Amino acid sequence: MTTGKSEPLLRLDRVSRQYTQGEQTVYALRDVTFTAEKGEFIAIAGPSGSGKTTLLNLCAGLDRPTEGTVWLNGRNLAELNRHQLARLRLEEVGFIFQAFNLIPVLSAEENAEFILLLRGVPARERKEKVRALLKEVGLQGMESRRPGQLSGGQQQRVAVARAIAAEPKLVLADEPTANLDTETAFALLNLLERLNREHGTTFLFSTHDPRVMQRAHRIIRLLDGRIEIDEQVPTFNRG
Amino acid sequence: MQAFQIILILAWRNLWRNKRRTILTAGVVSLGLALLLIFLGIGDGSHQQMIRGAVRLGGAHVAVQAAGYQARGGIERTISASDLARIYSWVQSRRDELGITHVLPRAFASGLVSSADGASGVRVIGLEPEKEKSFSSFHEKLVRGHFLAPGDDTGAVIGEGVARKLEIEPGEKFVLMVQGAHSPEIQSVLLRVSGVMQTGLEDFDQATILITLDTARELFGLDDQVHQVAIMLERQEQSEEAAREGNQVLAGELEVLSWQELMPELRDFIRIDDGGNYVFNAMFFLIISFLVANTLLMSVLERRREFALLDAIGFTPARRFVLVLVEAAWIAFLAVLVGTVLGYAGHLYLHYRGLPLSLFYSSEMAAAGTVIDPVIYSDLAWTRVVGSALIVFFLTFILALLPAWRGATGQDVQLLGQV
Repeated sequence: MTTGKSEPLLRLDRVSRQYTQGEQTVYALRDVTFTAEKGEFIAIAGPSGSGKTTLLNLCAGLDRPTEGTVWLNGRNLAELNRHQLARLRLEEVGFIFQAFNLIPVLSAEENAEFILLLRGVPARERKEKVRALLKEVGLQGMESRRPGQLSGGQQQRVAVARAIAAEPKLVLADEPTANLDTETAFALLNLLERLNREHGTTFLFSTHDPRVMQRAHRIIRLLDGRIEIDEQVPTFNRG
Repeated sequence: MQAFQIILILAWRNLWRNKRRTILTAGVVSLGLALLLIFLGIGDGSHQQMIRGAVRLGGAHVAVQAAGYQARGGIERTISASDLARIYSWVQSRRDELGITHVLPRAFASGLVSSADGASGVRVIGLEPEKEKSFSSFHEKLVRGHFLAPGDDTGAVIGEGVARKLEIEPGEKFVLMVQGAHSPEIQSVLLRVSGVMQTGLEDFDQATILITLDTARELFGLDDQVHQVAIMLERQEQSEEAAREGNQVLAGELEVLSWQELMPELRDFIRIDDGGNYVFNAMFFLIISFLVANTLLMSVLERRREFALLDAIGFTPARRFVLVLVEAAWIAFLAVLVGTVLGYAGHLYLHYRGLPLSLFYSSEMAAAGTVIDPVIYSDLAWTRVVGSALIVFFLTFILALLPAWRGATGQDVQLLGQV
């Protein structure tokens, strides 16, 4: 089901996610509503356990809400089966994880080109694009290294290259700087910001790192699964 | 296509993440396949030897007889001279195609032998000595005296048991009495013992005597008739085909039997033995299957986070399912390759060197009317090798279905956040 041209890229409508632990019901998210337009650079902030990761998982269709609806690029995720959701992620979503999550048996270049390969991009075009991207993220000369031979920062940059190689409409990043030193974290944020600016890619990243929040254009603060604050960050306040 | 390429590469590399486990799993399957091929080779080899032994001891790959002779017998059910000519004509025309090597006419009767020291009921076989020597093993079983010679009209080769009952030895005389084929009168002839044979088959040795076909015809009153034309083939596997064709060509007064129809006890023994072997092999592979299934499932469960990652980046459930199947296929391919080489090497060794049964049995063994050779030589058809390899390959594949389903449908998104 699609809506008109004014449809935002991402829309969450009264979304709740609850888990049952024994006889207890725990709300990870409660009644969350917000939209993300194309080209936004949004930080989901909040302390641990506030529901940031759950929110990102729901946005990508990796998890299903107990109540409410998630719309991604005009499609109601509840109406899609697992195969269709995987296809949707392949076509429209890039993922960056806190724990890097590269495929250990593939080299940096193979990891970065993985999604392009699944999308059937011809080999030559794929190689050119991925090598340029790896160069851009500072991994030139490390293309054939496997994840185990790369530092944490280098792995995260490979993960970024993989997430953006196919030019997705939406990149979801779950605490992307949490395991990086300050210098690497800033370099990564610069890269994400530039991609956002130059390609119009929408970024939605969870964080509780003030350094990251300073760079966001909009901050959605979660507390106990609810949106506490949803605010635009004035340009002069950005780090 | 590109997606399948990456699946092939991913599966192959995943295999070697835990080398020891992969080698152990593939090794167990290889060993299972190798043993299966060796067991099949020994089983088939022993069966081939039993069939050959039975055929060479008075049997036939294909037997032409008067219609009804196999079921009801009767000395009067003979093959006429004109039918005999038709049989020879058919054999001549199809000799090369059917691989016919020997054609042996025979006459049979039940009779009574007596000497000064005893009497005994016997089965009399009339045969052409020189032709039989070129194929049959009667002459190899002689323990005393010599085999029949052409024109030796008063000679007889008798079983060891007959010699014992009648207390006669080569050179001594005895009387054979039979009823004529076309008259109710008892015919008798005085014969001299040419040789004594010991085949290892007690029933045979206690009640069989061999005489020349000419003597038998005269004694039984057969003129130019016989009871059976035994046809030998290069390959016993062609027996049924030859019999089928013979029945079409020689339809009417004759029946053409394959060795299976001529020697049903032997056929049934082999079937039962094969059945037992199949059950044993199936149980053997069932045990191996649990090991393989467990290994594959463990391998998937250990990579739950990775499957969650693949799901997150758009690797569809169907592709994850195929990924695990391809991993299993790689293991199966390696196992089948190594297992076939090992098994075939074992077969070749046993084909040329043989397996001495003396390792297991102290005395000669007989079963289903044939003596089992003291050394078994493996015999393995390529269809057995290919069939076994395919069974093992697809079995491994089937065992991977459950782990593949787990890999495709696992919901482990929470693991992606773990550092």
